Amino acid sequence: MLPEVLLRHSVRGEIVVPHFLAESDLPWLRVLLDDADRFSGRPQRELDDHLKGSPSAGCPAGKWRLAIHVLRRLLGSRHRSAVPPPQARAAVFTAAAMGKGRAQVLAAVATTVGVTIPELEESLFSDLPGERLVVLPEKPLAPLELALRANLSLAQGFLTRATSIVIEAEGNARTLVRHAKLRGLICTVAARASSGDAVLEISGPFALFHRTLVYGRALAELLPLCAWCQRFRLRARCLLHGRSLQLELASGDPIFPSEEPRRFDSQVEERFARDFGRLVHDWDVVREPEPIASAGTLIFPDFALQHRHNPARRCLLEIVGFWTVDYLTRKLAQYRAAGLNNLILCIDEDRDCAGGDLPARAVVIRYRRRVDPHAVLTALEGMP
Amino acid sequence: MRLVFDRGTLLLLDAPVGANATGIAGLLWDSRVGAWRAPAWRHPELVNVLARAVTPSTDEVRDVTAPREGWRSIELRPYQEAALCAWELAGRRGVVVLPTGSGKTRLALAAMARTGLATLCLVPTRVLLEQWLREIGTMYDHPVGCLGDGVHDIAPITVATYESAYRHMNRIGNRFELLVVDEAHHFGAGIRDEALEMSIAPARIGLTATPVRDGPAVARLHDLIGPTVYELAIGDLAGTYLAGFDLVTLHLDLTPAERSRYESLMNSFHAVHVQFQRIAPEGSWEDFARAAARSSEGRRALDSWRQARKLLAFPDGKRAALRALLERHCDARMLVFTSDNETAYAVAREHLIMPFTCDIGRKEREAALNRFRSGELKALVSSRVLNEGLDVPDADVAVIVGGALGEREHVQRVGRLLRPREGKRAQVFELVLRRTMEVTHARRRRTALAARSATSP
Repeated sequence: MLPEVLLRHSVRGEIVVPHFLAESDLPWLRVLLDDADRFSGRPQRELDDHLKGSPSAGCPAGKWRLAIHVLRRLLGSRHRSAVPPPQARAAVFTAAAMGKGRAQVLAAVATTVGVTIPELEESLFSDLPGERLVVLPEKPLAPLELALRANLSLAQGFLTRATSIVIEAEGNARTLVRHAKLRGLICTVAARASSGDAVLEISGPFALFHRTLVYGRALAELLPLCAWCQRFRLRARCLLHGRSLQLELASGDPIFPSEEPRRFDSQVEERFARDFGRLVHDWDVVREPEPIASAGTLIFPDFALQHRHNPARRCLLEIVGFWTVDYLTRKLAQYRAAGLNNLILCIDEDRDCAGGDLPARAVVIRYRRRVDPHAVLTALEGMP
Repeated sequence: MRLVFDRGTLLLLDAPVGANATGIAGLLWDSRVGAWRAPAWRHPELVNVLARAVTPSTDEVRDVTAPREGWRSIELRPYQEAALCAWELAGRRGVVVLPTGSGKTRLALAAMARTGLATLCLVPTRVLLEQWLREIGTMYDHPVGCLGDGVHDIAPITVATYESAYRHMNRIGNRFELLVVDEAHHFGAGIRDEALEMSIAPARIGLTATPVRDGPAVARLHDLIGPTVYELAIGDLAGTYLAGFDLVTLHLDLTPAERSRYESLMNSFHAVHVQFQRIAPEGSWEDFARAAARSSEGRRALDSWRQARKLLAFPDGKRAALRALLERHCDARMLVFTSDNETAYAVAREHLIMPFTCDIGRKEREAALNRFRSGELKALVSSRVLNEGLDVPDADVAVIVGGALGEREHVQRVGRLLRPREGKRAQVFELVLRRTMEVTHARRRRTALAARSATSP
């Protein structure tokens, strides 16, 4: 978590405004990266000493410290020594315990292990922080990337101090919901009447009692995923210096995005999309179609199957791993409440968690390991 | 009604419509899921409440696998028996305060063995994780789980670092019925408490040599672990179960050049600090640091203060004194304590003493302790790793070159020397630089040590 002292911001009324690194900061970020470049292969303490100095002219001190903090996390390290350091330490310190003088000990051990005294001395601590050698990231860092990564850290620093967030998202809402749930967060979903955007209210189970860091971190981890929404707006109440302030972030804020989220939730889904696409040429497989409003919430079908020549022929398909009859009944009820009856449920035969009969009127395809595309096609053709 | 565990909390499902349970055993209505919710640590209280409720309920919270039989007989000293008895009488909740080296781990092992409960031990560091796993392994015949240091292996008896416990307790908080909280004084404020809050364990035992005495943390510890149920000070055990000791303070001088630099640094610090104290007479050091970080003048003042501390860490006077002490006690087994790792490495380089820090790998640390035990190594130098909890082999002399964590750290460090031996009297040398901030710090440390060295009330 970013230390509070690095959370550079100003406050306007109730709103906290993060001091993001911007275009105007790129020149000094370039200087900083050049500095790091010069220290490549040299001991970390030398770079640390250099960075302890004052920031370059025209560079705001707070932003400088934030950029250094983030840069340090991106740099790697390695060690190089004539003798493996643990072996050097064992030999030297044990010999020293016999009561001989420093020079005598070093000379004796150096002779024994076949290195010079300076090489032996260098080996003693070469694997410890400070003495390890600076390694630059494999892919050279551009000033803009460092700025965006620093901004992401800054925004996440605020979010770790939040109890809940609200995200209005157009596109990619399903991924956000999935990742929120993976992180143990509670996510309620609603449709925004005016735009049809998904409105996600996300908080940790403990939010009812007080803020917790474990769920604050989970909230912060969602931020880089928002970059994959076509448009998003995020609001959060953050506790800063004992004050509750509102943070607002939106598409276009200069924040480093996550890697592209996986397109499929599971290998079964990925395989089905591939198999069905190869087998059937009259139908398109649409992954993660638009969410559907149903009784005040949103449902996110896994796939839409759309006939190429007849737009009226469209069917939704869900692949269900662990399931119970109750779960399937609720799911069908959600679709029916939305006025949709063209749903195919593919359920894993080995993962019936409760047993019992399947809900009536459901088009169900059972599968083991892979969903049979022929069976899906047959079900499609049997539908009105 | 059904009570279930949900990510560090308890959910009361299917409660009668219209029932108002707000505040009962921590319950609040959670409109997000349409159920009543309470923090997991309130489980025992909630179960009692539900047992008296008109509507019947089932408790589906526990996912506990009881440990298999396999504990060996653990003999306790009389004061350890008394402590365990006091904890049992307090309803298996509470903190036991015993001096360093008096066998707190053994007491915890006895608690685990006698209760037979599925147990999670929380320890502050990876070094102590190894030590606890080893200690339990000598008394328990089945595999012991480990959570931390890159391992995630849960068993009915598991040891976890604070960090891992805090990260995973929302998923495993319903799997243990006894929490052993080593060095319990670290709890009561801050994020670590989240681990205690998200566990349902009804039985909890905290262990410490330096209990929290005042502030909001006391009440918090009372809620999350229990009250202090048994307490002994060093003075209660010195001469019998602990060795006696002498504390010698060596007052040293800075060189003229060091003095001049120190004064200059402290003057630039005081110029800003005095202003802050005028504005906020009650302000804490944290308040000052926060305020100072907002201006370039303040940041320079903080930097001056840091540089002054660095100067005091290992100046010429301390170098000379340490050299003399090492020569004079060349036959003794010695622990050297520094204020930071950088100084520990400086001491290690200069005097060829094995450093014992968090940067040294696990196997190498174990080997170093074994060599120290056998006498192959005569001294170890450390800033924090040796401070607390670690079962350090018998040492006779400690040199405190510097400290960073105040009185509690000092008491813990002195405790490292108190393992008893026939005729042993340990010696602690504290190096203090005259006319520097160290004088005040040393005075506070001595007062705290005196309080812990006297017999308990």
